[in-house]
Amino acid sequence: MIEYLADLTTPISMGILLGGLYAVIALGLSLVFGVMKLINVAHGDLVILGSYLAYAILTILGMDPIIGLVIGVPVLFVLGFGIQKYLLNRAFHVSMEAPLIIAFGLSIIIQNLVQLIWSPLSRGLTTSYSLASIGAGPLHLPLIYVIDFAVALLVMLILSQFMKRTYLGKAINASSQDSRAAQLMGINTERMYAFAFAISMAITAIAGVFLGLTFPFTPQSGVSFLVIAFGVVILGGLGSILGTFVGGIILGLAQTLSAYYFGAATQMLAVYVIVFIILAVRPQGIFGR
Amino acid sequence: MKLTLPRLSRGLIIAVVLIVVLALLPVIGAPKSWLLYIFLFFLYLAMANMWNLLAGYSGLISLCQAAFIGLAGYTLAITTWLGYPFYVGILGGAIVCGIFALLISYPVFRLAGIYFAIGTLVVPEALRMVFFLWRPVGGELHGGGAGYMVKGVTAISMSEIYWFALIIGIGSVILMRMILRSKLGLGLAAIRDNTDTAASSGVDVFRIKLNVFIIGAVVTGLAGAIFYVYQGYIEPISAYNIRWTMTMILATVIGGLRTIEGPIIGTIIAVFLHFLLARYAGISLLVQGVILVMVMLLVPQGIVGYTRETRIYRKLSQLFSWRRGNSP
Amino acid sequence: MEKQEELLLKVDNIDVFHGSFQALWGVSLSVKKGEIVALIGANSSGKSTLLDAVSGIIHPAKGSIRFEGKDIATRNPFQIVASGISQVPEGRRLFPSMSVLDNLIIGSYNGRARLNKNGNLQRVYELFPILAERKSQLAKTLSGGEQQMLAIGRCLMADPKLMLLDEMSLGLAPIVINEIYKVLREIRKRGITILFVEQNVRRSLEEADRAYIMKTGRVVLSGEVAELREEEEVKKAYFGI
Repeated sequence: MIEYLADLTTPISMGILLGGLYAVIALGLSLVFGVMKLINVAHGDLVILGSYLAYAILTILGMDPIIGLVIGVPVLFVLGFGIQKYLLNRAFHVSMEAPLIIAFGLSIIIQNLVQLIWSPLSRGLTTSYSLASIGAGPLHLPLIYVIDFAVALLVMLILSQFMKRTYLGKAINASSQDSRAAQLMGINTERMYAFAFAISMAITAIAGVFLGLTFPFTPQSGVSFLVIAFGVVILGGLGSILGTFVGGIILGLAQTLSAYYFGAATQMLAVYVIVFIILAVRPQGIFGR
Repeated sequence: MKLTLPRLSRGLIIAVVLIVVLALLPVIGAPKSWLLYIFLFFLYLAMANMWNLLAGYSGLISLCQAAFIGLAGYTLAITTWLGYPFYVGILGGAIVCGIFALLISYPVFRLAGIYFAIGTLVVPEALRMVFFLWRPVGGELHGGGAGYMVKGVTAISMSEIYWFALIIGIGSVILMRMILRSKLGLGLAAIRDNTDTAASSGVDVFRIKLNVFIIGAVVTGLAGAIFYVYQGYIEPISAYNIRWTMTMILATVIGGLRTIEGPIIGTIIAVFLHFLLARYAGISLLVQGVILVMVMLLVPQGIVGYTRETRIYRKLSQLFSWRRGNSP
Repeated sequence: MEKQEELLLKVDNIDVFHGSFQALWGVSLSVKKGEIVALIGANSSGKSTLLDAVSGIIHPAKGSIRFEGKDIATRNPFQIVASGISQVPEGRRLFPSMSVLDNLIIGSYNGRARLNKNGNLQRVYELFPILAERKSQLAKTLSGGEQQMLAIGRCLMADPKLMLLDEMSLGLAPIVINEIYKVLREIRKRGITILFVEQNVRRSLEEADRAYIMKTGRVVLSGEVAELREEEEVKKAYFGI
């Protein structure tokens, strides 16, 4: 078992590191909303789907989950492309509320499908390093938290460079700023939305793997992570990768500190409370416009 | 809101006759299973109507309706533990729901339509957690998981519960008609058409949405409380469960959003599905989810919307207004 | 009669609806290669709708639109850009949070234009030196005239054969408008055909070879600019509009 030091540096550092993981979890949601103005209520379940996929790869193929991303990322990328192109895209043409309702239906489908295949039992991705701890001076931290944070930085860096430098990234950006103007530039905006969703799913696949390595998960875990992702996005403001990062850290800290002072059972409650406070006080978030 | 007396159309007479028949069923000794089926139908009808009011007419895709069901149920249970008769509990449940809706409206309404859905999704989850940890009355845990018995329900007959459900179900339909013809309904139509224009024409958008939200909360709560009078036992996992939300959404969508008849037809199908899938608890929600997605893609206007667009509607209404085969 | 091969764009008797409202009634228009054609009319005369129909944003219910002999009436906007028609939309519609350079680069999104990206960029900088100066600035920080230049530059990056301009002098000072018309003449010299929409009758007739005058969704007058100037309607318009 990992030992916790009886002072605050541990919960604080863990909170910050955890924030990195939360940022990656939220990044997909933020991207989809920024580009298509769709709040994907199935997002949390898609993250968990990523975790279960990694679990399947681990248990059936014996592949390490991080290496298994080689399979997981393309699979979820293609799935995301399909979901946007054939489900959500049609829904946008139907009515205002249709995409939301379909996302809701999707969420239920994923939860129950996952439960059918892998049972309601709690699962986890256990590897040689998922339980190790790393020491720096008087501090002992779970190694996986540090890896999560490093991965988060890497993913955010890659995403921001992609959006800024490639034609596809700029086209997605343009489509989200002014769809009609983008079309007049020769951009197939519907395809851009599909790509954006697919990229979001690729990021979600990564989030799912590292989530599974860090925490145990059940088919119902999706809701909690949707709330966390939503909270991060609300805190950090839309369309800001940096904001998502800061939001993640704030929520991570909220959880670890609340667990430290009030016990582990209050962790999610702390998140709910913060989300509601932010909504009441400053709904556009810290970085929001 | 002014009460305009409906014209005595043929359709109305049929409806009244039907209601009287349904009301008399427990008295004339109809089988228990029928009563249960119709009982659930009326409860779900009330919930579906409210969801239609919120999502269909007001643009508020509320995913937190389950919260009101649970809150009302818990209020009912707690008041019976405090020694009050069950109807006080039902009333109390309605009041608690109204107050709760008022309280959360402030943070939740700040969210533009799309954020709103997630914001509301959080609420039942949070409540589930709260009621899991919190024991407001009574000492011991009953059967694990912070559940409560509803005291004194054995004294109430199935007929009484049945009639309560009937009242709330029919009442919700009448309420819908009243609202849509009132000033509130006009405001809703304006908001749906163009929120900014409506706001600049003096429509108090927040007030209207708040009123609708509270009405939705109260009526859903009433239905929930009545359900728990029947069930006799409440615990957090099922009280705040997403199944409630799924059923009311499915009922409304299958029947037809933004129609008055839609929830009625949709609820018939939803309750039928409910009983059909009850044996296959594992895949019940899965099937409902798939049906929801397919309906939304293929027939988004629902059954009522679809028949309105085709000749079927005209033929049907001709059928009901001509007595003896005066075929055109 | 114009020879079919010379016609770059031929719009033939189209009806266009916005929902149930009919915006264009049997409208016909043609543009020859190398011409500058003006489309003149007051607000809601249907001129913007006509441009949108050519660009594929809205599709005609009746009639045909042919570009280089091929029917484009049912194509998507991005396909039409790839075919060689590029529009500077009304109100410019720049991407406000992107830099000047990025706005220009995104203009060259279509496959053909990407190959000539650097060459086109140089040419745009030659036409509009101010854009080279401000290339790292965000589009929303530019003045009205600079934004219009950026919008035109962006359109040129798409390597068009036919350029459509929708009300480009809106909100601009006369000096700036002159500059822009000068640039348009340059662009024509480089072989690009131009169809522009304007409300100002006098200025349009000065710059164009031919013109069409529209009113409530119909073409009421068309022809060589010299002839049009003599028409009674047009003379009234000088004092009227």
